[in-house]
Amino acid sequence: MRLKIKRFHYARDVEEALSLLSAYRGRGAILAGGLDLARSFNPKLEGLIDISGLGLSYVHEQDGGLRIGATTTLTEVLESRAAREYLGGFLAEVVGQVANPPLRNQATFGGAVASAHPWADLPTALVAVGAEVRWVDQEGEHRARVEELWQGEFRRLLSSAVITEIFLPPWEGAFAFGKLSRNVGDIALLNCACGLGIEDGKVAWARVALGATPRRGRRLLWLEDLLTGEAPGEELWQVVREQVEANVEVGADRRASAAWRRAAAGPLLARTLARAAEKATARQR
Amino acid sequence: MALEGKVVGRNVRKVDGLALACGRPKFTLDLDLPGALVGKILRSPYAHARILRIDTSRAEAVPGVACILHHGNVDRVPYTTAGQGWPEPSPYDNFLFDRKVRFVGDRVAAVAAETEEAAREALRLIEVDYEVLPAVLSPEEALAAGAPAIHDEDDAEGIYDAQHNIAAAVDIPVGDIERGFAESDVIVEASCEIPYSQHVALEPHCVIAYFDEDGRLVLRTSTQVPFHVRRIVARVVGLPMEKIRVVKPRIGGGFGSKQEVILEPVAAALALRAGRPVVMALDRAEVFTATRTRHPMRVRVKLGAKKDGTLHAIEMEALSNTGAYGAHSLTVLSNTGSKTLPLYNKAPHLWFHGKAVYTNLPVAGAYRGYGATQGYFALEVAMDMLAERLGMDPIELRLVNHIRAGETSPIFEKIGEGREGKPQTVKSCALEECLRVGAEKIGWREKRARRRREGSWAYGVGMSVSMQGSGITGIDMAAATIMMNENGSFRLLVGATDIGTGSDTVLAQIAAEVLGVPVERISVYSSDTDFTPFDTGAYASSTTYVSGMAVLRAARKVREAILEVAAGMLAEPPEDLELAEERVTSKKTGKSVTLSEVGHRATYVVDQRHIIASASFVPEESPPPFAAFFCEVAVDTETGVVRVERFVAAADCGVAIHPKLAAGQLEGAIVQGIGHALSEELLFSEKGRCTNANLFDYRIPSALDVPALEVVLVDSEEPSGPLGAKSIAEVGINGPLPAISNAIYHAVGVRLTRAPFTPARVLAALRG
Ligand SMILES: Cc1cc2nc3c(=O)[nH]c(=O)nc-3n(C[C@H](O)[C@H](O)[C@H](O)COP(=O)(O)OP(=O)(O)OC[C@H]3O[C@@H](n4cnc5c(N)ncnc54)[C@H](O)[C@@H]3O)c2cc1C
Repeated sequence: MRLKIKRFHYARDVEEALSLLSAYRGRGAILAGGLDLARSFNPKLEGLIDISGLGLSYVHEQDGGLRIGATTTLTEVLESRAAREYLGGFLAEVVGQVANPPLRNQATFGGAVASAHPWADLPTALVAVGAEVRWVDQEGEHRARVEELWQGEFRRLLSSAVITEIFLPPWEGAFAFGKLSRNVGDIALLNCACGLGIEDGKVAWARVALGATPRRGRRLLWLEDLLTGEAPGEELWQVVREQVEANVEVGADRRASAAWRRAAAGPLLARTLARAAEKATARQR
Repeated sequence: MALEGKVVGRNVRKVDGLALACGRPKFTLDLDLPGALVGKILRSPYAHARILRIDTSRAEAVPGVACILHHGNVDRVPYTTAGQGWPEPSPYDNFLFDRKVRFVGDRVAAVAAETEEAAREALRLIEVDYEVLPAVLSPEEALAAGAPAIHDEDDAEGIYDAQHNIAAAVDIPVGDIERGFAESDVIVEASCEIPYSQHVALEPHCVIAYFDEDGRLVLRTSTQVPFHVRRIVARVVGLPMEKIRVVKPRIGGGFGSKQEVILEPVAAALALRAGRPVVMALDRAEVFTATRTRHPMRVRVKLGAKKDGTLHAIEMEALSNTGAYGAHSLTVLSNTGSKTLPLYNKAPHLWFHGKAVYTNLPVAGAYRGYGATQGYFALEVAMDMLAERLGMDPIELRLVNHIRAGETSPIFEKIGEGREGKPQTVKSCALEECLRVGAEKIGWREKRARRRREGSWAYGVGMSVSMQGSGITGIDMAAATIMMNENGSFRLLVGATDIGTGSDTVLAQIAAEVLGVPVERISVYSSDTDFTPFDTGAYASSTTYVSGMAVLRAARKVREAILEVAAGMLAEPPEDLELAEERVTSKKTGKSVTLSEVGHRATYVVDQRHIIASASFVPEESPPPFAAFFCEVAVDTETGVVRVERFVAAADCGVAIHPKLAAGQLEGAIVQGIGHALSEELLFSEKGRCTNANLFDYRIPSALDVPALEVVLVDSEEPSGPLGAKSIAEVGINGPLPAISNAIYHAVGVRLTRAPFTPARVLAALRG
């Protein structure tokens, strides 16, 4: 890890950040909280462009959804009333399990979306709720669902763009988050985010994402289909356990074996779904 | 029964607390030396290779490079990095630089340059041709027929059997083990394994080498063993010892990893070659792979017992992996038996045997617990199995078997520091009370009888006991000097090495108690080989006991000298005088003089002399501290995740000189032990490269992982110790592994015998 930084810029607005980025032609980078920049430093970098002064630290409620400015730290998210109330506390549940308090003081929401580590928790949660990323580049403003962004060559795209905001849409049902790790503050060995809408005692819709598999969180559409129309309850969760163990796609890395991920994914999803169902049912009443 | 001291037994303010809290520059690298070079080490990319050629010409051409050292341009002197009493019971199998590399990360060359960038650039440009040799990556491979010999050099000394990769071996029979098992009613056996783990002291290994006004070499270094550093560096670089001064500033933790003399000889050699100061500091990856680790070990314990639970025969076999070099290989292995078997002294038939073998993996060394941790894991799991087989409560089984005050064990005499030990009778033991208090606090009886289950979470409680020692009998030596200033305050000079344990405070308390002053009136200085008296160093749970005794003796001498001066002032014999609250008072007349008056008189007025005394201490025995550990765990039967919910430890460390610091030692050791049990393990690729040498992947517990943790200090009084004290530093780390394993068994009925108990291992065990 060698730092070869020659220049450090405080961008005054998004336009300046963009023009600096383009002037560096790949040798400059946006600096938000700096966690990832410090952890896996790109030796090519010569310039850092600090975006903390762009006025992008905020959390706003909008029609039941949430707009989070890119430079909002995870601690600020946790402390914001709007974020705590969003989806019955779902976002706070996720963010509260990210790393530890000192790192959350540093890490930004936009940085988490830009880095989108496969093992991270926020991507799994954002995929499940269908969050939308808003960014600006030389051509103008853009928006896309996180999973669409991450499916493409987003790292190249973001090397000349600034994420400005993430929008989390409103939902009628409820979401819950589950994470398995070796100790507190550890990254996930496996994580999942589950949302359910319950009508007349049946699952009206389901949004289920599984992450750190070790791939980045993605939706399990087949499981969502399986759940829809069924009555939530122990019987259904048992089916989930079995079906997930039989069908889930997982792999190995140095943190966990594929065999363990396969065995643990079902219980993790079943429990998280059960909690979501409980919350959704309570909300309905 | 504990001593009710004025100073001792109280939580006085730490002597260095304020400076640390204010962030004052106290640590090794806080010294800024203008013109110092930066030293860096080129490390082997191969687990096992011969160096065919080194060409440093391109590297030397890098602007700012002062010198480059490698096997071709330094003297070849065999030595051990183990900072132990001399002659060390570890093989001399290290060289400053060798023609061979024996693990990924082994030293190939070192560079000193004006800047870190230049040093790194030079490292990149050193050309090395290697002949890659087959690597030995497990103890089993090391012992296999035809395994490559890792130490095939002919000038290493003290290796047990180099050709077969055996660094050290022990074989200690007592009684007749075969008969012992034949006469036993019940026999159980457990085999437990601990992987590679690292100390992760907050401050990495670092050193500054420079020259004083007279051209003597000064090493300011983060070490536990300043006097061993001086001796070993003198040997390696070929300087007379008196030409070297070692300064130990404040240390950011060691846990045994700085009982090794690793970086100092390199920095010294670079500074001598360049004729300039050199600063060296390892990065975290180097600390993980190229300093020292705990000895990975597989320990098999076979217990034979009578129906009433009395142990009749104990066999313990250890296979220890010492890595590429044999630092502490014999003594850690010996300790695996010598610090465990005396605890159960009822068994007349014992057999302790084992080997420490070389592999092409990182080098193991001293680590808190020092082999006992490995031994207790297997022993205490086996005891749990035995209790179950006998239908006995595990606490009851310990009560039937554990050693008591007034008792002995043949092991004390059979196993010493790499040689025979000395007979010893235990003089203080409050383990019974520890067991009682601990059981009550955790709610043993109720929780043991009724297993709790909530959904997929199964709860269980488990326990273990352990003992350790206090210093090394007949070998450790500590000295202290106390001087009185003319205003009645004191300076305490000790070679004892406070590495963050708080020993400066503890030693000041002992002196203050005897000298009748508050701790604030004593300035402590530790340690500097030029200005403080000798001390073997901070290891083997020795400082409070061994160095404390030296301080106690010196303080008593100073006290005598004070009373003598006061006797002249008060015109009364010293026997009639009392020293307390900064004055000497006549027991008869009540007349008194202050210490400041005594100091003034002795320094300036009549019959002038400096009130000063030195004293040494060598322990004739190593009184064991005892501890009982209890924990409650929750096991997720569906995912294998284990949570330690509660942990209670009750320990007998004799009189706790500073109860808060003693409790802190116990708490820290337990948390470190929980790390061993649940998450810590260094992983290696098929080629022997460590793949998780960073704190992101290698998980140590943080404050957030600490369970509801309660530690209790149970009073006893050790007659051989300073004001009743014995040790507390290590005993706590032996408990968590077996206690947690036993609690998991209680919760879900499977035995976890390979640490750490990761979700994958637990789930695999649950699924059979
Ligand atoms: C030790 C550690 C533990 C962690 N644990 C967890 C965990 O448990 N769960 C979890 O979900 N995550 C975890 N993370 C990931 C963490 O959430 C992200 O690293 C963090 O949010 C990144 O934010 P930052 O502000 O520090 O990014 P930076 O390091 O500043 O930036 C990261 C990257 O994104 C780019 N970038 C940043 N902001 C923008 C922007 N607005 N527009 C365009 N590009 C941008 C930067 O140029 C850089 O390439 C952990 C990270 C670390 C280092």
